[in-house]
Amino acid sequence: MAERKGLTPLQLDALREVGNIGSGNAAVALSTMVDKKVMLSVPRASLVPLVKVSDLVGGAETPVVGIYLHISGDASGSMLLLLEEKSARELAHLMVSGMEGGELTVVEQSALQETGSILAGSYLNALSQMTGILLKPSVPGFAMDMAGAIIDFILVEISQSEDYVLVIETEFDVLQHKIRGHLILFPDLGSLDIILGRLGVTTD
Amino acid sequence: MAPTVLIVDDALFMRMMIRDILSKDGFEVIGEAENGVEAVERYKEMRPDLVTMDIVMPEMDGIEAVRQIMKIDPNAKILMCSAMGQQPLVVEALEAGAKDFIIKPFQPSKVIEAVEKALKS
Repeated sequence: MAERKGLTPLQLDALREVGNIGSGNAAVALSTMVDKKVMLSVPRASLVPLVKVSDLVGGAETPVVGIYLHISGDASGSMLLLLEEKSARELAHLMVSGMEGGELTVVEQSALQETGSILAGSYLNALSQMTGILLKPSVPGFAMDMAGAIIDFILVEISQSEDYVLVIETEFDVLQHKIRGHLILFPDLGSLDIILGRLGVTTD
Repeated sequence: MAPTVLIVDDALFMRMMIRDILSKDGFEVIGEAENGVEAVERYKEMRPDLVTMDIVMPEMDGIEAVRQIMKIDPNAKILMCSAMGQQPLVVEALEAGAKDFIIKPFQPSKVIEAVEKALKS
């Protein structure tokens, strides 16, 4: 898969490091917000066929809450925070003390949306510091749906021109709270050369 | 008299959080706005002692709102509160006229400290 776009093992390694540093900074932010310890998985960086992206987060039919935003600036792409529905409720309750169970309230939804916004912001701050490129996030969108539907929605612009998408994905865990989520960066393939160049791993 | 504050953030949750932090410390939150356009309008009407300003918002972003508010009142005291801590943006906000910049997520004590500093500036 990687060969298809000519990504070398060194380049994939550099992109994993992007995931590592970005999500590391995001984890510190999340930990501050909920005052709990947050653990991270080793990030994955790979070129994935569009139809397979939802497999990375537990399958297309998993009910999830997604907070997504687009990135503009010196490089473009998208960013997605995905939480399984149970995890999203638990996280919302941690931030907004209220009734357990039932539908998410407006304030809980806003808290989750702001979490996505802050985690993406922290991730991009670290990435910007590492590469020297400016990355501006958009206002976050919020959706409760099946994972496949949310990912399709985000990737709709990319999918018009590409069959593959570059995915940099990290799984995180809020300890003692069974909160698990995925933080995913989808750099536009057109921006990839800029990012790889700044990381010092260009092909040419 | 308690200093008056206008809170600008597109997230309801964040407005509640900042309101809570400031009210507990004796500040009077006199208004809220959820985008830059509203922020400029509220500023004209209310003339608060201080504004807390998010950056990424719909309609008009926080940096543009700072520029417009500074045109209306060159003595306006605005404190940026954003998750976007990238150097070029911090510089842009300060050049636009913001007094200080705090990066989300923040500890309540940091907010109070920055607000007091901005009010004295």
